[in-house]
Amino acid sequence: MRRGQLTWIVVITAAILVSIVLLYPTVEFYSQDRELLKENDPKNYYSLKDKALRLGLDLQGGVHMVLQVKDPKGGGIGGDVQDQVLEKIRIRVDKFGITEPEIVKSGIDQIVVDLPGFADIKAAKELIGNTAQLRFHLLRSADECQATMESIDSVLVMALADKAGDATTAKTTGKEADTSGQDVGDIFGKDVAGDSVPGSLEEEDFEKAHPFSALLDRWIGGWWEITMENYAVVRQYLEKDEVKAVIPPNYLVTFGTRPVKRGDRQFQSLYFLNSNIEMTGEPIISVKESFDQFRRPVVNFELDSDGARTFSRVTGQHIDEALAIVIDGLVESAPNIESRINKRGQITMGGDATISDAYLLSVLLKAGALPADVQLLQSTVVGPALGQDSINRGKLASVIGLLLVVIFMGVYYRVSGLIADGALILNVLFLLAFMVIPGVNATLTMPGIAGIVLTVGMAVDSNVLMFERIREEMRTGKTIRASIDAGYDRALLTIIDSHVTTLITAFILFIFGSGPIRGFAVTLSMGVFLSLFTALFITKAILDMRKKYKSLSI
Amino acid sequence: MMQIFTKTNIDFIGKRKYAFLFSGIMVVLGVAAFMMILLGKANLGIDFTGGAEIIGSFEKPVSVDQVRDALSEIGQGEAKIQALRGEGFVNSFIIKLKGSIENALPETTWTADGEMTINMVAAEGDQLGDLLKTAISKHFPDNKFTLDSTNNISSKVGEKLTANAIKAVIFALLGILIYIWIRFDFRFGVAATAATFHDVLAVLGIYFILNRELSLLVITALLTLAGYSLTDTVVVFDRIRENLKNFRKRSDFASTINLSINSVLSRTAITSFTVLIVVLTLLFFGGKVLFDFALALTIGIFIGTYSSWFVASPILVEWENRSPKRVK
Repeated sequence: MRRGQLTWIVVITAAILVSIVLLYPTVEFYSQDRELLKENDPKNYYSLKDKALRLGLDLQGGVHMVLQVKDPKGGGIGGDVQDQVLEKIRIRVDKFGITEPEIVKSGIDQIVVDLPGFADIKAAKELIGNTAQLRFHLLRSADECQATMESIDSVLVMALADKAGDATTAKTTGKEADTSGQDVGDIFGKDVAGDSVPGSLEEEDFEKAHPFSALLDRWIGGWWEITMENYAVVRQYLEKDEVKAVIPPNYLVTFGTRPVKRGDRQFQSLYFLNSNIEMTGEPIISVKESFDQFRRPVVNFELDSDGARTFSRVTGQHIDEALAIVIDGLVESAPNIESRINKRGQITMGGDATISDAYLLSVLLKAGALPADVQLLQSTVVGPALGQDSINRGKLASVIGLLLVVIFMGVYYRVSGLIADGALILNVLFLLAFMVIPGVNATLTMPGIAGIVLTVGMAVDSNVLMFERIREEMRTGKTIRASIDAGYDRALLTIIDSHVTTLITAFILFIFGSGPIRGFAVTLSMGVFLSLFTALFITKAILDMRKKYKSLSI
Repeated sequence: MMQIFTKTNIDFIGKRKYAFLFSGIMVVLGVAAFMMILLGKANLGIDFTGGAEIIGSFEKPVSVDQVRDALSEIGQGEAKIQALRGEGFVNSFIIKLKGSIENALPETTWTADGEMTINMVAAEGDQLGDLLKTAISKHFPDNKFTLDSTNNISSKVGEKLTANAIKAVIFALLGILIYIWIRFDFRFGVAATAATFHDVLAVLGIYFILNRELSLLVITALLTLAGYSLTDTVVVFDRIRENLKNFRKRSDFASTINLSINSVLSRTAITSFTVLIVVLTLLFFGGKVLFDFALALTIGIFIGTYSSWFVASPILVEWENRSPKRVK
């Protein structure tokens, strides 16, 4: 054996061994019950997961969101605003405990959030969208509420009377809403007609004179509760300009963060607050979700010393009054101040809150508000069924594709075909190993699998070019040795030239594509690149060893 | 030795008139399809138009028509509804709505003099997905409908994506032109780029006629096809260049090119065949995610192979016939 051949065997063996070592954790990781491993041996789980081939969202399932960052004032977005929003979202996602999120900038004003293995789009949306501004307000007294409601009633009576002449408009628009199947439209149409509570004449009279107050169900010592049916109407009334005009400027009329269930009916709360902000969530230094003594979910918080001073003053001055905890303009709850509170406070969760609501709030409070508005442009959730189906189909297609090509090459080129098959299989092995090299950590997506399958079909091209040329040379009557040399030399340039074109398009796909498409570009270009290597280095070397034969099986 | 083609001598160049006619029709079709895309009249996927796609399963069996009834209640009986089969999918459907639903959500506005109007505004992206789910759950109160996957896209995404897709095609063609120009010469560069452009347009045209949906993955397939078809063209060109070294008279030009195509015929056939094998595998076993991608590639392999024989090389011949002095 010549020296060159020995080197060659060492290099190829080393490459195969390295590939196997690189891919071993992938096989180990995906061939066992991962949930079980995660529970029993989390350290091993994460270490394996880290080394294993990463699956894209489309295969392992998860949430993918594209967000548009918007300047609330309607101007352009500076690069630092995008960075700040991204940073805040990253903090929120991290604190929520989602592992391996990928949050990246896209263009100058978009952010892409990928949460692999996460399927709760509702929580994901809240995590991204909520600004979580915490403020404390005092409640208006019962008398003050009453007075305001009366003025709202009186302006509404006039507005509705004016409109009665034009009743046809309201009716037809109401109808339209009906056909859309929307609850809001439905109920609205009914309520405008004034027959939500069919009853005595007095009731009807009261409704006519008090179109607003009549909608409020009951007074809960500090605020009103409204049925969900009336809630939509109340909201619409409150948005009316003349209603806004009669609400005193230092009043803040708002609702609860979530409905509360009483029996089998749901109610929403209506609050009249003093618009004066007693304190904000700014001085909060730590938060933790928990339960209070009634097993209700709460969020405990701790303030810095300045904050503690303010809070102590506010609570001290208003003992026995209710303090509304307002989050993003909505009232979470309005507990009574029992005594002066200093450093540590507690947010009682309102409505039918669960501990996970408390958890989400604590995360949002920890991370703070987003510096700009964000709009959800795209949300994709790949559920476990679709992900698993894609994996199964990808596996099947790869195996069948590889098998068919291997059989065809063996039949057509016989021994040489088998050599090409060996090179092809090594090609796939190297490609997969390349993807898990630390630092490369490419993600395998469904289009990425398509790229691998396509590579299998295309990778044999280098071999085919070489074999066909050698056949041609043999037909001209050359010796085996001369045919192999001439065939290889002449095919070499063609092989390189023709593959560069595929690499150019794959590169462009990589630049302009996103997510799964990039996965495709990576596997295709790497596959084609490696096929050059396997053809020129492996097939050629074996052909060289066969130069001494009298006949060549090709 | 097993061989598909032994010594062939097919006159590819002689048939260029028919080829140009056929290709002309394909290109016109492709351009028409492209215009339709720009006009927004083509069958574009929700990646481009915005919309919602949901995959969900019922507890009890339900027919496509029943699902359609549910959607008709919100005026969306035209939505694409498909029963989904496979491991993990029982009573499952994939429902797709494109664009936005006009007049779907009520929005109340008040004028200064107290006039109240309820305007129905369009629902898009996320709201669409929610509307679909709500409509179905409402129609089947005793048959729980659980979502597995959703893909909701705002129509605002499409513009950027379309721009990116067009940019990608242009840059790909430019890159190809420059590369072939450097490696061969300008004539070859133009001929190769024209053939590649032809391939992309032809597949686009066929897709348009078949009324198949143009998704982001189909565009990816088109670009992949551009690269693949070029590989074919380059192999033929390489041989033409090699054979042109023995080129003497202008009248020999066409036969030199014919000879070159014939010499690499079996390589082209075999490589096209192996690629066809894997693409068909993807078509039959790749599932719904990859189906359109694989279909575009399948059509593309035929077109791409055809074009390196009947489009790229004949362009060289026409160019040579029309140039005043002999090149090379």
